[in-house]
Amino acid sequence: MNNEDRQIQRDRMRYTKNSLAANLALVGLLFDVFYFVNICQSDVGTYYYNILIGASIVYNLVFLLVVFLASEGVKNYQINYSYILIVVGALQIARIFIIPMRAHSATTLVDGVEVAVMGNGQFMWVLAFLVISAACLLASAAVNIIKCRELSAHLKSLGLES
Amino acid sequence: MATLSLQHIDKIYDNNVQAVFDFNLDVKDGELIVLVGPSGCGKSTTLRMVAGLEDISEGKLLLDGKDITATPAKDRDMAMVFQNYALYGHMTIYENMAFSLTLRKENPNVIHKKVLAAAEILGLTSQLNKKPAQLSGGQRQRVAMGRSIVRNPKVFLFDEPLSNLDAKLRGATRREILLLHKRLKATMLYVTHDQTEALTLADRIVCMSMGHVQQVGTPLELYDDPANVFVASFIGLPPMNLYDVKVSGAELVGANFKVSLTAEEQAQLKAYQGKTIILGVRPENIIEGPDVKATVFSNENLGMNTLVHAYIGGDRKAKISAKLKGWSNYKAGDTVSFSFKRKHFFDKDTTNAIRKGE
Repeated sequence: MNNEDRQIQRDRMRYTKNSLAANLALVGLLFDVFYFVNICQSDVGTYYYNILIGASIVYNLVFLLVVFLASEGVKNYQINYSYILIVVGALQIARIFIIPMRAHSATTLVDGVEVAVMGNGQFMWVLAFLVISAACLLASAAVNIIKCRELSAHLKSLGLES
Repeated sequence: MATLSLQHIDKIYDNNVQAVFDFNLDVKDGELIVLVGPSGCGKSTTLRMVAGLEDISEGKLLLDGKDITATPAKDRDMAMVFQNYALYGHMTIYENMAFSLTLRKENPNVIHKKVLAAAEILGLTSQLNKKPAQLSGGQRQRVAMGRSIVRNPKVFLFDEPLSNLDAKLRGATRREILLLHKRLKATMLYVTHDQTEALTLADRIVCMSMGHVQQVGTPLELYDDPANVFVASFIGLPPMNLYDVKVSGAELVGANFKVSLTAEEQAQLKAYQGKTIILGVRPENIIEGPDVKATVFSNENLGMNTLVHAYIGGDRKAKISAKLKGWSNYKAGDTVSFSFKRKHFFDKDTTNAIRKGE
């Protein structure tokens, strides 16, 4: 790609949406849904009937709203939404240690028999969903930050931004 | 750009209604042809046949000498601008203009260059991030034109593009289309029912009525030398005054008036001595003079001119409209007297013009 092509590519950002960043954020949201639906599969006995799962449900609702809004924000090259996505992405990693790790090491009695709450296979799936979700959110943030800086520099060079 | 040839084209619908009869036209490279006529005359149908949106029942359509009669619309390399703009409301102006090229999977950088160039031509650069709903009617129509320009088609087709605009905007957009044509030097086919658009835009006009071509010629030819009564009455505002008159020696004798003929006019009407013909006089060719007496029923001051409507000899069936220079203050019931500066003659039976040497 020569200099002119790069210049045109930057100029295109003035009129096109940052759909890569927006779509990455939405994929992150989708994998979070997969995670949340998936942990319910491992519901044996009454292990999940505690305050933690209640908080997790509320957090999940907030997560869906925030990530959706952030995806719209990054679509329009708003750099502040990238910082929100970084925080939410980091929290996705932290969530691995809250429910999945605990459930993986926990056992519960079902009809007097001790069974594992979350088997290895289930754990790997849940882990993968959260990691992919976090990766997508962080990638979305990174893409948006890079593009925002490029666009800002380009607008300055055109004298359209102080 | 391209040449276009329509040869003996007919359009017959499934219910056997014929909308276009034996349409023949050769459009030169870079020419702006305007199809004009009243509603239902077949002008839009003809344009849609050229675009490929309607099948051609009979005849041939050639683009640059190549027969495209059966070629699908998408492969004809023509761009059409519609009356209702046909813009995508959820897309920005930039996206609307880039859409056809995006569908063709062209390089985004190339698309970008083309869209910016078209926007520059049309003065839309500052509007590219807006949605169609945020623009005025004239701007929306310019976007529709921009969408055509970026495709760089061989032929541009316009189907009454100004009909949705108010009078002021229509005038401005009309001038923009004219400038666009001069700049692009593109072959254009333009359909309108508005004779002002036809006269101001066209290199040549095709005047149609009831599916038949009435006359093809330059705007001046159609105005100054109409081929028949239909063209004479359709082109010109107010329309031409038409009267049945009898050729009697060196005079034309109407129901309530007589006008003398010049030697040249007498020669022109030599074969019609004693016969009834149709006399046509444009309102702007009427001056105050001694020949025709009439009773005024309406006086419209237009600033530079006054439009006087009167009944010849007080006969309500014989109306005359005269566009007099300056400001007149006739009142209803006043008697006024006119003379005719320039006359047009038409055969009573065929309604065709009687020309010199015929």
